[in-house]
Amino acid sequence: MAVIEAIDLRRTYRTTTGVVRRRPLEVEAVKGVWFAVERGELFGLLGPNGAGKTTTIKMLITLLLPTGGQARVLGHDVVAEPREVRRRIGYVFGGDRGLYERLSALDNLRYFAELYGVSGRGQRRRVDEVLELVGLKGRERERVEGYSRGMRQRLHIARGILHDPEVVFLDEPTIGVDPVGARELRALMANLIATGKTVLLTTHYMFEADELCDRIAVIASGEIVGQGTPAQLKAGVADGRVTEIEVFGIGDAALERVRGVSGVTAVTVEDRDQRQLLVVQSAGDRELTHELLGHLDGASVGRVATREPTLEDAYVALVTR
Amino acid sequence: MTTLRLIRTGFVINLKMVGTSSFFLLTSTVQPVIFATIAFYMFRSGGRPGTLLYAALGAGMMGIWSTTLFASGGMIQWQRWQGTLELGVAAPPPLTLVYLPWSLANTFLGAYALAATLVWGRVLFGVPLHLAHPWLFALALPSALLALGLFGLLLGSSFILYRHANALANLLEYPVWIASGLIFSLSVLPGWSRPISWALPPYWAARALRDAAIGGPVWGPLGMTFALGAASVVAATLSLGWFEHRARARATLSLT
Amino acid sequence: MSGLERWFRVFLVGGVIAYRGLFNWIRPEIYIPTMLGSPLFQIVFFAKLGQYAGAEDTSFYVVGNAVQVCAMASVYGMTMAIANERWFGTLGPLLATPANRAAVFLGRGIPVLANGLIVSAFGFAVGVAVLGFRPGWATVPPLAVVVVATACSCTAFGMLLGSIGLRAKDFWFAANLTYFLMLLLCGVNVPLDVLPGWMSAISRCLPLTHGILAAREVAAGASLDSVGGLVWTELGIGACYATAAYGLFRVLERESRRAAVLDSY
Repeated sequence: MAVIEAIDLRRTYRTTTGVVRRRPLEVEAVKGVWFAVERGELFGLLGPNGAGKTTTIKMLITLLLPTGGQARVLGHDVVAEPREVRRRIGYVFGGDRGLYERLSALDNLRYFAELYGVSGRGQRRRVDEVLELVGLKGRERERVEGYSRGMRQRLHIARGILHDPEVVFLDEPTIGVDPVGARELRALMANLIATGKTVLLTTHYMFEADELCDRIAVIASGEIVGQGTPAQLKAGVADGRVTEIEVFGIGDAALERVRGVSGVTAVTVEDRDQRQLLVVQSAGDRELTHELLGHLDGASVGRVATREPTLEDAYVALVTR
Repeated sequence: MTTLRLIRTGFVINLKMVGTSSFFLLTSTVQPVIFATIAFYMFRSGGRPGTLLYAALGAGMMGIWSTTLFASGGMIQWQRWQGTLELGVAAPPPLTLVYLPWSLANTFLGAYALAATLVWGRVLFGVPLHLAHPWLFALALPSALLALGLFGLLLGSSFILYRHANALANLLEYPVWIASGLIFSLSVLPGWSRPISWALPPYWAARALRDAAIGGPVWGPLGMTFALGAASVVAATLSLGWFEHRARARATLSLT
Repeated sequence: MSGLERWFRVFLVGGVIAYRGLFNWIRPEIYIPTMLGSPLFQIVFFAKLGQYAGAEDTSFYVVGNAVQVCAMASVYGMTMAIANERWFGTLGPLLATPANRAAVFLGRGIPVLANGLIVSAFGFAVGVAVLGFRPGWATVPPLAVVVVATACSCTAFGMLLGSIGLRAKDFWFAANLTYFLMLLLCGVNVPLDVLPGWMSAISRCLPLTHGILAAREVAAGASLDSVGGLVWTELGIGACYATAAYGLFRVLERESRRAAVLDSY
């Protein structure tokens, strides 16, 4: 039995538009999402901002009611049995909010331990364990208001696993954390799997998903556009190549021509200070460099390189389709 | 048993958080003290005998109501701003149980107001602090605070549903002081307002405290205070349940 | 346009727009409880307390509190108009404009003043409708003059508080404290001769005090001439506060440009 199941999960928001005459507007944030997570997996929900990752995860952890479809965690329906679900899961989210600033980390943990029924002598032991695990031992008596973002994140994780839940949901846990801190957090997340838990992670960092996840579902504009292991997703673009061309000032017309070249599957432009990096994915083994350069008339060109596709390219191909 | 533990832990934690805030200490004592001073001068020049203790108690209870109204009433809204409301909903216990300790702690801290007005009255105006039934007072005070804390939870659970809760909260300060007869007798109010007064927990709490301090039947008012407190918890549970459902349906749990 | 014209435009138009930009109060669901509801119950509270205590008669409390609520609308309104600039971070952009500072902030005062008058009128109406206050129609014009003068000096006081609020930490506590102190010290509910000497000395330096004294006499039937001295004193005190506020604001502005703390909160 799958530990987490999303079955045609949907979420529509109703808002209003216009200032003088309010017209109702329906925004479909999640448009029918299907996936299943097996026990012991580290499953990644990968997508750009606004794709619907947070909405999906909130439906799974009972904070948001789906407007269609179903979801089950450990066999319990998230709408009909929220209490059962809440008891068995841990929820960790990124950002600065969500902790009692004027309290110490220790007090925050004690409070949540109580809420999750971790009490008695076992509580002190468990709180200690968890502090040790996330590397906050020695700083637990300081007030949270003085913590860095990385420390807060670690405290969030500590809070999320206090009651030793079977399933842990992590919503963009490394957002805004410095690279070193983020690496430590990722080691922590991998560790959770080692202790037998099942983890669902949302992120928009592909390298993070690639590094950590057993399987990934790529979500864009509320729909799953690709699912599989990182290797499988890469295989989707494996028999192609990526050509990277540094340009200085490329116009839209030239871009259109590049897109039109036969064999080209995706074109993205990254801004790098004064230059732009044109990344062209193409299927098959054909060398396209000359043809592409031919379409860039007028624009100055810098370095040109070709390489194998990475997961990032697979991701870009999926979300820009 | 775990329920009591949860309440106790939450209570102590919140006490720690709010009670150590110098801002809170100042605002919860300065306002009652100034009102007490106004009342002392008014009673003194009015020549009503034996009313200075009455005024001190009254001003203290006005402070307790203000704390209940603003601190407990704003408490769930505050959780939302802190980003911890989601965590409260995601936790296994029902919302009532999660936020009850917070409300209780806030209201208990209102006792600072009462202490301040009594001390102020004694030191600066020579208010005699002789209590008619000291033991009953010692029982009545925490009981009254408990019942008002329960009522504060109801306020908090109602305010979170209303977008302009702050304006509403401001509007309930003076009227409840008036209708509860905290610092003057209901005899100066028109007869039709009595039922309103009888429905207010602060009215009964004030009567219980006053009777214990100055003399009168304490048990009746205390009983009514508890009855209304119990009713508040029931109403709060319904209100919170409604709020949670709506917030989950409309995704407003984490809005600021 | 001429310099004077420009001054007036900044003063009037800028003031009203900025007021609406910074306040949510125009919406009825906020305006009614805050600006009308609270004063109503404040007046009733003190009138009933006074009745119970047997201290002064009802009209004493009605006049005192009806004028005080106008004062509070002016003080809070002005304080917020200035201090909120800091909160919203609009102070920097505002000071970057070439607009004359006095015009800008005095302009903010107009809507605040108007609001104060509405609130006060409402307060008196409450006294008439609910508490049996019957001053007679002839007292209305002179009473209005007294209230306007008081509102002006309280607005000036609010300007000073607002200027302080631009830099001070935990400023709101001080602003709230002012409300309570005015209730105690300005003769709103306690006659000045009942207060100890040092308190009534402070009272005489605060806005509102002389205005209330004048208002009570006028409500009892005195002519405007006979309270002229009190009214001018009230306006004089207001002028002092306005000058201090302006001076403080310029000092703060200069210092913050030097120390770059304008946008720090």
